[in-house]
Amino acid sequence: MASLSTKVKLYGEASSKTIDFNKDVILQDDSDGNGPYIKEWNVTGLAQPTDADLATYDAAATTDETNNTVKNTRKVAYGDIGDQLDEIFKDIDAWKARIQGIKDANPKS
Amino acid sequence: MSKIFVDQVDPKTGTSLTLGTSGDTVNIPSGVTLANAGTVTGLPASAISSGTIATARLGSGTASSSTFLRGDQTYAAAGGENTPAFEATRSSDQTLSSSTYAKIQFDAETFDTAGAYDNSTNYRFTIPSGQAGKYYIYASATLSANAQTEFNFGNIVIYKNGSEYRNLISDHRANPVYRPYLAVQAVMVLAVADYIEIYGRVNSGVTPKIQGTNANYFGGYKIIE
Repeated sequence: MASLSTKVKLYGEASSKTIDFNKDVILQDDSDGNGPYIKEWNVTGLAQPTDADLATYDAAATTDETNNTVKNTRKVAYGDIGDQLDEIFKDIDAWKARIQGIKDANPKS
Repeated sequence: MSKIFVDQVDPKTGTSLTLGTSGDTVNIPSGVTLANAGTVTGLPASAISSGTIATARLGSGTASSSTFLRGDQTYAAAGGENTPAFEATRSSDQTLSSSTYAKIQFDAETFDTAGAYDNSTNYRFTIPSGQAGKYYIYASATLSANAQTEFNFGNIVIYKNGSEYRNLISDHRANPVYRPYLAVQAVMVLAVADYIEIYGRVNSGVTPKIQGTNANYFGGYKIIE
């Protein structure tokens, strides 16, 4: 199951709202077995979602999180941007081939 | 020099008896004991120029190498103890949900002088009966994004009675990092039954965690006042 923050983020984006988790929405987990919950909801013009509302974003949120992991794997494999600029300067086609190989090896959902 | 042999000298009239005249010296030779069972007045402290005054003459209470004489002339224990005191650690990973404040489960006690830290259910320090006062509270955690360049921002927070008391944020949104170490501390005035907990949070593109290291700890002790 996707994390609450991802579902809240997608719920906001569906209404063209970018959620700031430092002031718009505060999530909390008291480590008591009940899981995370919305502690504060301060999004102007958008009602706090119900559990049912959030459940509709579960699949999309799972995909989002899976793709985040893929993006991070790719980013690490791409390497330092300075080194990549050096690669491009020396042989841009070789660089493109290496990047394409990383993308192919780590496809997004 | 003439001697007067007499058993008692009393004033001829009234109740005042004078020895000598201003400028005279009245000598008490070596070996003579001046025994006083009455009251001596007008003896200046500067006249005590030799010997040692017994500690029992300086104040009440028990004088010893571990007590000191206070301004109210009583002997009291020196120093005191910084107790209650406790410290607990978290040596294994604790998975977090991104962007969510989670109570950190410091589950291994290093010491707990008053049995006031709960390391198995609520993971909180509760002020015991009779121990209200000022406490130094400290905590740290290794907040990990679980992947390079994914830690956007994170917090470590002291909660008092379920509410945020002190919140430290480490914000790297323009240049995400991997796993910063954050520490928080506070001197808090606490009453009996007040409870203290530590929460942590990580905003990350992948599933974050409190990384199990010996840099994760939560402790506190009462300050001597």
